[in-house]
Amino acid sequence: MATTARIQIDGQGPVVALQGFFRRLLEDESLSGVMLPVHLFRHGMPMPTLVTRPDQLDRADPLAPAFPMNSAKLVSRLTRGATGERIAVVMRPCEIRAFIELVKLNQGSLEEVILIGMDCPGAFDNAHYKEFLGDREGMAASVQFHASLSNGGLAGGFELAPACRVCEYPSPHGADMVIGLHGADLGSAIPVMATSARGEALLGAMGLPEESPDDRREKALAALTATRVQARDAMMEQVSARTGTLEQLAEYLSGCVNCYNCRVACPVCYCKECVFNTDVFEHKPWQYLGWAKRKGSLKLPTDTVFYHLTRMAHMSTACVGCGQCSNACPNGVEVVELFRTVAARTQAGFDYLPGLSLDQAPPLTVFKEDEFQDTVSHLA
Amino acid sequence: MNQDFEPAILAFVCNWCTYTAADLAGTSRMTQQPNVRLVRMMCTGMVDPKYVIKSLLSGADGVLISGCHPGDCHYQNGNYKARRRVRLLNEILSQFGIDRRRVRLTWVGASEGQEFAATVNNFINDLRELGPLDSRGLAAL
Amino acid sequence: MARKIGVYVCHCGSNIAGRVDCPEVARFAGGLKNVAVSRDYQFMCSDPGQDMIIKDIRERGLDRVVVASCSPRLHEKTFQKACARAGLNPYLMQHCCIREHCSWVTPDKDEATLKAKHIVEAAVLRVGRHKELHSREVGVLPDVMVVGAGIAGIQAALDIAKSGHRVILVEKSPSIGGHMAQFDKTFPTLDCAACISTPKMVAVAQEPNIELLTWTEVEDVSGFVGNYTVTVRRKARYVREDICTGCGACLEKCPTKVVSEFEEGLSTRRAIYRNSPQAVPSTPVIDRDHCKMLTKGKCGACQKTCPTGAIDFTMQDRREVYHVGSVVLATGYDTMDPTPMREYGFGRYPEVYTALQFERLNNAVGPTGGKILMKSGEAPKSVAIIHCVGSRDRNYHEYCSRTCCMYALKYDHLIKDKVGHGCEVYNFYIDMRCFGKGYEEFYRRVQDEGVTFVRGRPAEVVQENGKLVVVGEDTLMGVHVRVPVDMVVLCTAMEARPDSTDVARIFGIAQGRDGFFLEEHPKLGPVSTASDGIYLAGTCQGPKDIPDAVAHASGGAAQALALAARGVVSISPTTSWINPDICVGCKVCIGLCPYSAIEFDERRHIAVINEAMCKGCGSCAGYCPSGAAQVKHFRQTQVFSEIDGMLDPLPDLLAPAAEISQTTAQA
Repeated sequence: MATTARIQIDGQGPVVALQGFFRRLLEDESLSGVMLPVHLFRHGMPMPTLVTRPDQLDRADPLAPAFPMNSAKLVSRLTRGATGERIAVVMRPCEIRAFIELVKLNQGSLEEVILIGMDCPGAFDNAHYKEFLGDREGMAASVQFHASLSNGGLAGGFELAPACRVCEYPSPHGADMVIGLHGADLGSAIPVMATSARGEALLGAMGLPEESPDDRREKALAALTATRVQARDAMMEQVSARTGTLEQLAEYLSGCVNCYNCRVACPVCYCKECVFNTDVFEHKPWQYLGWAKRKGSLKLPTDTVFYHLTRMAHMSTACVGCGQCSNACPNGVEVVELFRTVAARTQAGFDYLPGLSLDQAPPLTVFKEDEFQDTVSHLA
Repeated sequence: MNQDFEPAILAFVCNWCTYTAADLAGTSRMTQQPNVRLVRMMCTGMVDPKYVIKSLLSGADGVLISGCHPGDCHYQNGNYKARRRVRLLNEILSQFGIDRRRVRLTWVGASEGQEFAATVNNFINDLRELGPLDSRGLAAL
Repeated sequence: MARKIGVYVCHCGSNIAGRVDCPEVARFAGGLKNVAVSRDYQFMCSDPGQDMIIKDIRERGLDRVVVASCSPRLHEKTFQKACARAGLNPYLMQHCCIREHCSWVTPDKDEATLKAKHIVEAAVLRVGRHKELHSREVGVLPDVMVVGAGIAGIQAALDIAKSGHRVILVEKSPSIGGHMAQFDKTFPTLDCAACISTPKMVAVAQEPNIELLTWTEVEDVSGFVGNYTVTVRRKARYVREDICTGCGACLEKCPTKVVSEFEEGLSTRRAIYRNSPQAVPSTPVIDRDHCKMLTKGKCGACQKTCPTGAIDFTMQDRREVYHVGSVVLATGYDTMDPTPMREYGFGRYPEVYTALQFERLNNAVGPTGGKILMKSGEAPKSVAIIHCVGSRDRNYHEYCSRTCCMYALKYDHLIKDKVGHGCEVYNFYIDMRCFGKGYEEFYRRVQDEGVTFVRGRPAEVVQENGKLVVVGEDTLMGVHVRVPVDMVVLCTAMEARPDSTDVARIFGIAQGRDGFFLEEHPKLGPVSTASDGIYLAGTCQGPKDIPDAVAHASGGAAQALALAARGVVSISPTTSWINPDICVGCKVCIGLCPYSAIEFDERRHIAVINEAMCKGCGSCAGYCPSGAAQVKHFRQTQVFSEIDGMLDPLPDLLAPAAEISQTTAQA
């Protein structure tokens, strides 16, 4: 997997150059379509779009700093059964990791999909993206976003989404092809690396000029990762200080209204129906009164802390930290910070790295006879 | 140790081993502190983590999950599955100040009545030391 | 929905009432929501006690019942039946324990009464969530499959066939008889193994109710108790059993020699072979890995010789499917290969033998015609027998193989008998375990024959000046010993077959830590397994000598027959159920299910429980994040209700006494 090709950028800028790249990719007879973010409207939100006709790529913008949803859920829908045709999907690193988790849970397949991973500098949450966009045209704004990042940072008081600020995986793992934005000079060229045999075959057939290797990307990535790790640790320390008791946790979650948006937005919450929406949690009217009588009062809706603790049990080992939970919360609960902090513990507890290898089984789906002896107490 | 504090404990015990041991402890009149309430499960492998969370949020100061010794599970390996789930719970709950000693997994075989009584008594003593869980006073859970 | 629950608090004489204020508990229960009647009574399990429940169900229209008394392990069935007699589904009753877990272990009366209230409240809340469940009866296919035709499999097959049921007896070797066919004499009676096993083997061949499938392996098992579908692979024998007369002419003409497995490597066989002239069936088999015709396409000597034209080189493996009600597994054991225990020199020194090799040396049709001879052709002047090779050894097998002490004593006797009393025989043992009928007596007899017993596991066997020297310690005397001998016999451990994991998987049963198949209960269920309708016979369950293996096999046969004779089997309704509207098809439950009881419906992309195979362990339910998989009678709403009742902070919550019936019935 040695091929590194060059996406040459001419006077029309990086977005147009990338569109050209995907147009060329789509010409490959083995591909029936490519899914990538497209500005369907001039000022709207760029949305993941499955493009089959090359001329529809004119408004494609894989550089847009918008992240309206984790596309792993979409790719799951596109691959949950064989179509006999192959597509390519352009994904952020956290989207690929989430998709790998879904594949492990039989919610998608890698068989007929080529994963094209984008190096990811981070994105805005929904509200801030709209603010950032203002009256500008979407693609132009994307170019300015990347330009300001390489010129020392975002101006105008804009900050990346909370999840992105602490993301230590800004480069894709497990993709077939990687578009290397980190360290690239978006005025001249973007390197694209084949990272699997399938990717190699596709990229090789495109006949792009070869890129001579240098260490700019590695250096940029190392610097970025170090910053992120530092920010992550600081964030977790802060969350831990704020949630050291159940009471503090309840306060942290006090805005929760049981809308379950966080779990709908969560790419690794894969249930068709959340158990909290089923009859298991359909309490009888007198039950509420009974509970209220026990302590003299009962906050409504009930089962908010219960819901979040249960969700931690269900998905924290698979949490990729994409932050869509926070993005979806109507009441500003800092969901991603909390879940990433817990996920760090649960993932470490099982030596589990979500989304990095199909071979690593989700912790609760397997077991061994001789393990975790320290989890067993000997009280007698 | 907080001697005035009476901890409330829920124990999810498997029908074949620990529940049987609890029966034996009773038949042998092995005195136990009265704070434990047994919930009979067919196997520790059917203990949903939600049961533990619900218990802790509903006033339990500690939760015991107890089943067959490794290799003795009536259903071959339910106890191993329980062990992973308890580990997961401990990782999560300890983040929120719920000491790992509050959610315990033990193996108590069908013939170990004495061990069952000792397990109960020692667990209660541990919880007296830890004091009440702060969910007891909370109206918002 | 409003319920009409009846609560019955038992005094159990003074067993409960001595500590628990039963009338107070009944009064408390009467105040709980949905409780229509609440009573306490001396002995609920007595006929008047049960009648009280039945009468209330009938007259007051109760739709749920709670009995608070002893452990449900004792009387749950009693009260379920009482409810059923009154026309109430037995699963609408909750039995809770206020004796073993409460009155008997709680000295303080107030505390015991409070605890009992909690337990009763939890039961009342839980029972409100109960649903009617119905046991199902399914038919049992009359045929039984026995897998493995060693002495255990033969015994099981004959027992079953005698009853008139058809048996499909599957054996992976070319002929039946198993390890016993390799033995010479049997302890402690010293009757010859062939003399007692050959008639049984012939009986199998002649039994019209037994369909014997040799050179056949089980590939797949599906279905459930009473209705198993077994796919077997009948390996190509290249000799047609229906034509072959077993004359043996082919065996002499075959030019290819191969090391004989049956002779434990001590001599050779041909590429077309059978284990012995008495083999059942007597039809030989062609070894496809060595036959020149099958490997290189030239030779065919056997084909030319065969007077009936039974040789058929075009034969192919073929699959056959059988439908049986139950399966008896009698797949036997292997002996441990002592080569890795380098200290005993097996494989390096020619005069170090395994026990099975030594059996062949003693056997009249063995490589030496039954004479105990060294490779040089001379009889040994001294023999050392090392016990517990690989048994009772943490590095290999922790367990005792249970047969070695006794066959070692048999060897002691045979050596003295065949080689002469001048031949020195040394036994190196850890403990002598002579537990069976006539065994201790035999031990005495051999001791009197002048055999030497050295207590202690030898450190090593070395070769010095052409002689073997056993180096060890006599732990009784506390001295180091070096015993020069001509021949060493290693009593190698009996161990689980190397393919036992595959077999366990195919049949959906478990293995113990030792690798042997796991019985349902070590004492009370030694032949049944965790899978209903799959039974064990003989050494596949653990090391056994012949009498134990035969007895065990008859036990397995009896279980299979009990099932077949009744013709129907009742299946507990407390199985798991996966809600098809909620299941998302992640398949995790399929991997966690110990009974292969969950199938994947590709069309609907959901997991589906096979209720006949499900045992209701809840491995699936304990994982399933959406709650699609739940065990009936242990549904989440039921458990949550129970938790709720148990954690009611009672002293603050004593409801005003309900104006419902408060009859405290006294006997």
